[in-house]
Amino acid sequence: MSEKETQYFIEAYEEKRAALPGAGGWLARRREAAMDAFREAGLPHRRLEDWKYTDLRQTLEKAAFAPAPAHEGAVVLPGRRSASAFASIDRHVLIFVNGRYRADLSQVAHLPKGVELHALADVVHEQWAKDLVERRFDDARQAENIVDLNTALMSDGACLRVRKGVKLDKPLHLLFVAQDAGASHTRNLVLLESEAEATIIETHVGEVASFTDIVTDIAIGEGARLNHVKLQDEASDAVHLATMRARLAADAKLSSFALTLGCGVSRGQSFVLFSGEGAEANIDGAYALRNKQHADQFCVIDHAVPACTSHTLFKGALDGKSEGVFQGKVIVRPHAQKSDGRQMTHALLLSRDAAMNAKPELEIYADDVQCAHGSTVGELSKDSIFYLRSRGIPEDEARRLLVLAFLDEALDLTPHDLARDALKLLVSEWFGEVAL
Amino acid sequence: MAAVKETVETVGEIEKYKYGFFTDIESEKAPIGLTEDTVRFISAKKDEPEWLLKWRLAAFRRWQTMTEPTWAKVTYPPIDFQDAYYYSAPKQTAKLDSLDQVDPKLLETYEKLGIPLTEQKMLAGVAVDAVFDSVSVVTTFKEKLAEAGVIFCPMSEAVRNHPELVKKYLGSVVPTSDNFYATLNSAVFSEGSFVYIPEGVRCPMELSTYFRINEKQTGQFERTLIIADKGSYVSYLEGCTAPQRDENQLHAAVVELIAHDDAEIKYSTVQNWFPGDEEGKGGVYNFVTKRGDCRGANSKISWTQVETGSAITWKYPSCILRGDNSRGEFYSIAISNGRQQVDSGTKMIHLGRNTTSRIISKGISAGRSSNTYRGLVSVHRKAENVRNFTQCDSLLIGDRCSAHTVPYIETKNPTAILEHEATTSKISDDQLFYCMQRGIGEEEAVALIVNGFCRDVLQQLPMEFAVEAQKLVGISLEGSVG
Repeated sequence: MSEKETQYFIEAYEEKRAALPGAGGWLARRREAAMDAFREAGLPHRRLEDWKYTDLRQTLEKAAFAPAPAHEGAVVLPGRRSASAFASIDRHVLIFVNGRYRADLSQVAHLPKGVELHALADVVHEQWAKDLVERRFDDARQAENIVDLNTALMSDGACLRVRKGVKLDKPLHLLFVAQDAGASHTRNLVLLESEAEATIIETHVGEVASFTDIVTDIAIGEGARLNHVKLQDEASDAVHLATMRARLAADAKLSSFALTLGCGVSRGQSFVLFSGEGAEANIDGAYALRNKQHADQFCVIDHAVPACTSHTLFKGALDGKSEGVFQGKVIVRPHAQKSDGRQMTHALLLSRDAAMNAKPELEIYADDVQCAHGSTVGELSKDSIFYLRSRGIPEDEARRLLVLAFLDEALDLTPHDLARDALKLLVSEWFGEVAL
Repeated sequence: MAAVKETVETVGEIEKYKYGFFTDIESEKAPIGLTEDTVRFISAKKDEPEWLLKWRLAAFRRWQTMTEPTWAKVTYPPIDFQDAYYYSAPKQTAKLDSLDQVDPKLLETYEKLGIPLTEQKMLAGVAVDAVFDSVSVVTTFKEKLAEAGVIFCPMSEAVRNHPELVKKYLGSVVPTSDNFYATLNSAVFSEGSFVYIPEGVRCPMELSTYFRINEKQTGQFERTLIIADKGSYVSYLEGCTAPQRDENQLHAAVVELIAHDDAEIKYSTVQNWFPGDEEGKGGVYNFVTKRGDCRGANSKISWTQVETGSAITWKYPSCILRGDNSRGEFYSIAISNGRQQVDSGTKMIHLGRNTTSRIISKGISAGRSSNTYRGLVSVHRKAENVRNFTQCDSLLIGDRCSAHTVPYIETKNPTAILEHEATTSKISDDQLFYCMQRGIGEEEAVALIVNGFCRDVLQQLPMEFAVEAQKLVGISLEGSVG
């Protein structure tokens, strides 16, 4: 396949391969194989079931992203509130500009003993990094295949390893700034050994036409716990593609929450695999879109072993001509008895031209399970608006209150108190800009 | 205890697939395989007008360029479309004047099937069109229907006697290019029922068709077309069986329903094709396209299906809700046992204003079967005030079966209110224990509980069918416990 939009990435690979982390080692061979696979498959398009509602091929063809340049010197944070949303939280900060780590801007001091934090290039020779990069889930190949593009071109990323029983003292904040137009490919690796604990906050901001391709590979050991909060508020002509792959050992817990406010086209993919009994995963999120924004949430949870619990809730408010997508799948493997899988998606259409597509899927091969999914789409209830107005609240304010209350149910699931408050504030400000 | 006794009797009565017999009747077949000549042969056999032959050939040529759909959650060895007969008719082609002239062996077959074919034995008020392999054998109660102005006849007769209606409506809901199997059907369909209910008429009785595949290595491709003109009402039942065979037989039917202003069509199916033996050998491939078009305002189409048979079911009875205030309903029970595979569901396409739809799907899987609900609810931009409610519940019996739910929900209008719910569970030990401690055997208790689980759908069936369906539910699950 030698289509135009693929060509940009192939050329970027040819040009940079020697300078990419891991050159000459196993990773170079892995990159080569990934590039071959990508070249073969091309960019995903709507004829693939997993991409039924999001045409990445068309999107990237239109935008034609060249690689983003490495940015030196001072960085001006975008004026948006989201850039500093988490400023009041006591945290370690890693700053990435155009997808590259900038040590000079970051603030990481006194990491507890047993916490290792490196840039991608520094860990690629380590076995744990290799294991994470090479691992495939194969539950939704069409969706996972795009990770090949990242594997071939990943140039940097944050790699966190927390040793057995160690607790990361403060949240680790990864701030990604798109300063110049172009594509960046980032890979984060997270390994929590047994009984370890960590909180990661991730922010993506930018004012330029960027293509952010980010993959986060996670392994959570026995009884370990990871909280993950993500905020995406990039420019309206930016494209965001994020994939999270997490594997949970027995009694591990993952709580992830993603708020999507920005980007012209964004897609968040989550893959969760339970490999030990008693584990729990909460994959939740909210989105508020307007104009011609398009946001796709794709989520696959694989109950491969018995007695695990998963919970998914995505809520969105869609204004203007925006389009929301939810595609989810809960798989319960044979013998994975006592699985508990819940999957909910609710969307509010605030304008005549907004659209929502949902496909919550259950695939169940065991009988003693509790699985349920639900999906609703609709507009604000006229009765509720009337109720508030009858109590003297103006219509605009009534609508605002109702939408905020609607999104609050999801936002409440943010696994960090201060981060939750920050996200709620952002969402309420989002409504300040929208005439409901 | 009457109900219990009945269940015991039913379960005892039928140990195996009781419709698995084969009737030895001499038949006339088209040469094996599928070529343009086969299409011409069928068309000539039916003495069809030129336009219909052209229509068939166009479909056939299109079919040759198409590939089989693979998106459904079913697996089966590739089908050799050249290794089957596309036309088979009991040899006895002279026009029949009365039932007495029908081959007694055929009548016997239908009797075994429990179809009230002869008028004396008929359940009050059911008009039957029976299709044996590819040919419609007899249509009963014709005169009474004609009095009301209702046309109910085999498709081939409709082509002869009412060409203007057939020409106007055939392929208008399921176009020849619709999908692989519908296109195949368009090329080789040989029989089916045609129903036309004139304006303002409430069809005086339930209409019913029985389909049976008898001949070996044959496919059955019937085409049903039901038109309900303004303000009319019709209830239509369809039942199917096939003999037990080692090989797989293909059944690719197309059903088109058209409801004009204020009309209502109720279409019920009890599908009990041979499901194959316990090891998954044999059985019918049921690849069916069914679609209703609520063309007029205030029209209503309701699908009710009880799917217990077939090795593989691939079937999505759908409603296009074009007319304002029209309503679509889909009630389904899909039971799979042994190694059966079911991929079934519905599509509700909301185009008109104030259109409503309701989907109730109950999937029950036992043995090593797989049961998938796949449905689409789509609301177009101009469809104001759409309301949809979807509920799909799955019940798993045993730990080697599987149940899947794949709903698609697409909304482009904010005034739409769509709700989808799905649950998956097994029969609770409490319920089972409760029944058993009152002296009800395990298998029977399961049948009782399952019947309760299906109640919402069973209630939608016409009375005589509901009784039969209830029994079928019990029988299909035989051997699934213990």
